[in-house]
Amino acid sequence: MHEASIALSLIDVASEVLRENGAARASALTVRVGAWSSVVPEALTAAFPACAAGTPLEGARLSVVTVPGVGECPTHGPVTLDVRQGLRCPECGAPTPTLLAGDELELDEIELAEPDLEDL
Amino acid sequence: MTATNPRIVTVRQNILKANDHTAAENRATFAAAGVRAINLASSPGAGKTALLERTLRDLAGQVSMAVAVGDLATENDAARLRQHGAQAEQIVTGTICHLDAAMVQAVLPRFDLAGLEVLFLENVGNLVCPSSYDLGEAARAVLISTTEGEDKPLKYPTMFNTADVVVITKMDLADAVGFDRDLCRENIDRARPGVPVIELSSRSGVGLDTWFAFVRGEGA
Repeated sequence: MHEASIALSLIDVASEVLRENGAARASALTVRVGAWSSVVPEALTAAFPACAAGTPLEGARLSVVTVPGVGECPTHGPVTLDVRQGLRCPECGAPTPTLLAGDELELDEIELAEPDLEDL
Repeated sequence: MTATNPRIVTVRQNILKANDHTAAENRATFAAAGVRAINLASSPGAGKTALLERTLRDLAGQVSMAVAVGDLATENDAARLRQHGAQAEQIVTGTICHLDAAMVQAVLPRFDLAGLEVLFLENVGNLVCPSSYDLGEAARAVLISTTEGEDKPLKYPTMFNTADVVVITKMDLADAVGFDRDLCRENIDRARPGVPVIELSSRSGVGLDTWFAFVRGEGA
């Protein structure tokens, strides 16, 4: 399980975005996790609140969007892959060596928090 | 005053970009020194250290080699590897279940890289977490032993999908444990279509010539 390490890296990237946008805090963030990323969404969601404590991300709502694997079949074009079958076209079984999607591990977007009145 | 809509910023950035940046620095360092760095990953007990011991012994005097080895708690592996005359530096990762690029970068000053041809980066025994972390290696070797089940490549698709070569170890035990070679190779190919596969035994020596060629960068 390395989702705590991933959560800490996520917080670093998100904190940088907050600084660039002159925001003190975030209220929500969305990450995209590919089926081939080796990250378990539930574990990341579970690890995030503790990792975010004391950072500008504390209390932010984390949404994880799972991205299915997409391969390129020579016959059927882009096909959605079944992780249990590996990189094989679900229609004809041909190898689909390249992942067109599904290896993402990225911060998609952040919702900046409005400053609290007492912060002004 | 009316309430404003929340400001949503589209980011679309890789969460591990800091690691990737450090990995790129490591890769440049290795390239400048002429060092081929090889990242070895497998589950615990697949035979990473045994293969490195055999490699250090058999290629001594032919290839200048050293090892940086990651482990959660002990220095046992580095001690084993040093018995074969090569420099071996332990990276104790504590509670972290993988090597990352910064851990590797921190240990590099202990090596005389200019005098090295090959630096092995022996990862923590784990088929999940190391897959996410580029260390700056030239090649990634993922090991699977004949004793651990032919379905590992499908259970751990990311690790095998990032392999430059897959090494099947403990071939001397294949018959004894009823290893299904064809099924294992089919599953490896499903995880990483077309990836070169080397079958070997660090004990009997079968298949080692192909591995040594890969170590030297002569292909698998």
